[in-house]
Amino acid sequence: MGRIVSMNLFEAAQPPFTANEGQLISEKTASGLMNDDGRPAENNPSPTLGAHEDARDLVRLVQCTRCSRPFRMPVTLPCGNSLCRQCLPDVYEREHITYPDIPGRLQAFQCPFEGCDREHPASDCSVDVTLTKLMESITEVVAKYAALVGDRPTMMEEVVRWDEGVSLLPAAEKPALHEIPGGRLGATFVLAAQGKLGYNVELNYLSDLSESERALDANMLAELFESTQREVDCQVCYNLMLDPVTTYCGHTLCRKCLARVLDHTHHCPVCRRGLAIPPSLQTQSSNKTLVNLLNGLCPEIVAARAEAVALEERGGEGDLDVPLFVCALGFPNQPTFLRIFEPRYRLMIRRALEANGEFGMLMYNRYLEPQGDLGPVHFYHYGIKLRILHSQVLADGTSLIESTGVYRFRVKAHGTVDGYAVGSIERLDDVPLAEEQRIEAEDTSLPPAEQGDVAGAINRMSTRSLLALGQNFILRMQDRSANWLQQRVLDIHGQPPADAALFPYWFASVLPISDEEKYKLMGTTTVRERLKITASWIRRIESQRW
Amino acid sequence: MTAPLPKRIIKETERLQSEPVPGISASPHDDNARYFDVMVEGPGGSCYEGGVFSLELFLPDDYPMCPPRIRFLTRIYHPNIDRLGRICLDVLKNNWSPALQIRTILLSIQALLGAPNPDDPLNEAVAKQWKARENQPEAIKTAREWTRLYANK
Repeated sequence: MGRIVSMNLFEAAQPPFTANEGQLISEKTASGLMNDDGRPAENNPSPTLGAHEDARDLVRLVQCTRCSRPFRMPVTLPCGNSLCRQCLPDVYEREHITYPDIPGRLQAFQCPFEGCDREHPASDCSVDVTLTKLMESITEVVAKYAALVGDRPTMMEEVVRWDEGVSLLPAAEKPALHEIPGGRLGATFVLAAQGKLGYNVELNYLSDLSESERALDANMLAELFESTQREVDCQVCYNLMLDPVTTYCGHTLCRKCLARVLDHTHHCPVCRRGLAIPPSLQTQSSNKTLVNLLNGLCPEIVAARAEAVALEERGGEGDLDVPLFVCALGFPNQPTFLRIFEPRYRLMIRRALEANGEFGMLMYNRYLEPQGDLGPVHFYHYGIKLRILHSQVLADGTSLIESTGVYRFRVKAHGTVDGYAVGSIERLDDVPLAEEQRIEAEDTSLPPAEQGDVAGAINRMSTRSLLALGQNFILRMQDRSANWLQQRVLDIHGQPPADAALFPYWFASVLPISDEEKYKLMGTTTVRERLKITASWIRRIESQRW
Repeated sequence: MTAPLPKRIIKETERLQSEPVPGISASPHDDNARYFDVMVEGPGGSCYEGGVFSLELFLPDDYPMCPPRIRFLTRIYHPNIDRLGRICLDVLKNNWSPALQIRTILLSIQALLGAPNPDDPLNEAVAKQWKARENQPEAIKTAREWTRLYANK
């Protein structure tokens, strides 16, 4: 269970949360339809690649940029780029490195990909299991189709790029011409497999194929799709991988699934090797080859998947759309500091941050007191909507949250998503000012209370005097140097607000009395009602009944 | 009110029905798709051979991040299974991984029947019998007897 940390952990001396938000955004550059955060970029869905028309582009999706052949035992680097294992640059010994002292980490190579330029420790680069299996399936299907087709070849002519063609090639030299049996797709793949198709080379297809041969390409792609689908299912959610991230041990999961795994453990779910990945995953690159493949082959499925995930996280079709953190009491306009360490709440907070940065917090109902229509539930049904102002993920995956109370609400219905509560809520506001004033006029015109009737006397006080009572009490306590009014408390909660509507929330936030007593403020709908509650606390303190 | 069933649970359930594992069955309750009735046949060559053991299996809210909760309902004489049917098996505890699934877990349980591990017991009394060389034939005999008595089809 995440818990409120005692406020003094956050003394003013503590540096403010310098969450690495800047980094977070700059790293999100990866790809078309799927962004690094897994949300679809709605404005530019990439078009589906056609088997016949886009044969060249399709083959490029599985070509190694280094050797231009279809990937052989591809390795996916920490930067998200992939290349054949034999195309890895030579490793060298890293010097001046003592921590962590793991043999594989002392060897490294310079990343050959443009835009990365980092040094990758050799141990962080394993054969990508998913890509390797994909390539096996693809090779099988291609071989099967090669056996099916007759001798009719596909003629392919390399396109001379104008910048090279004009200056570099001797005028006499004609662009290379290739002739390979099979449909366009198969022939192009075979050409690449023979090492005769440079990664950047474009092709002109000379032979115009009949309808039946077009169909051959389409069938082949359909079969490729069919046979590879099993490989691109995430082993955690059993769905098409959404924004796949590959671990340093070579296993691939949806970004969100991997993040959830990291909430619970630091071991790869597939091979149990330790995962040296920062738990927030914010700076972890997506597997670019897989992202491009999925976006090229089935953008609609990817988009539908992203939508389904968003729906699931909201708690399904219903209106149980607010994540609820059952923890403690909070008040409007007051800061709440939380340390989140339970895996389910780490997930909840991450999702809240991805959405609107808000979640509800409810007090734990230890004795299962009945809560209106909801009956005896494990929380009190009036809560506070919190908005996250800063969050900081610590090295151990727990996080510090600084939030502020936005408004009070009542839980109308509730359910569970992935272990945490969700609910549909109703915002609780004060009655209109006219009504507020009518109540004050009514209360204050009552005949005087009897001697000793404290509640009766409070009830008859004007709203202004009720506020003054509170403010004067604070002044008197400050004169006496009450320790709950020390400077560091005021640094966090500010000076007592002059607004009568807000004063009670501030007062409850600093006053050392039980949460059950403070909870009385949560269901109030008039300023007077709240001030009467705070006045009753003051009277009880003054008469030393506490 | 509960959230809709995660896709993963739906898929696992479908696959359990469409590609059943020999000697193992698991079917969800109509009114609670997270609660399964499980049958596991004692593995051939073990002292549980011929027995059909019934278990209950429940997928908690945060499955597959947390392991399923499984318990034997049929009485069984086994050093790693206690009187309440609770099972001492690493993959159901610390060694759980979300890449495992109902199917693999049930296979592990079946394998546990074939290879009792008295060195890491849950049921001390049974494990003691099992470990002492001179008592082992007796323990195995009891296991057979219990299988015949309680795990009868």
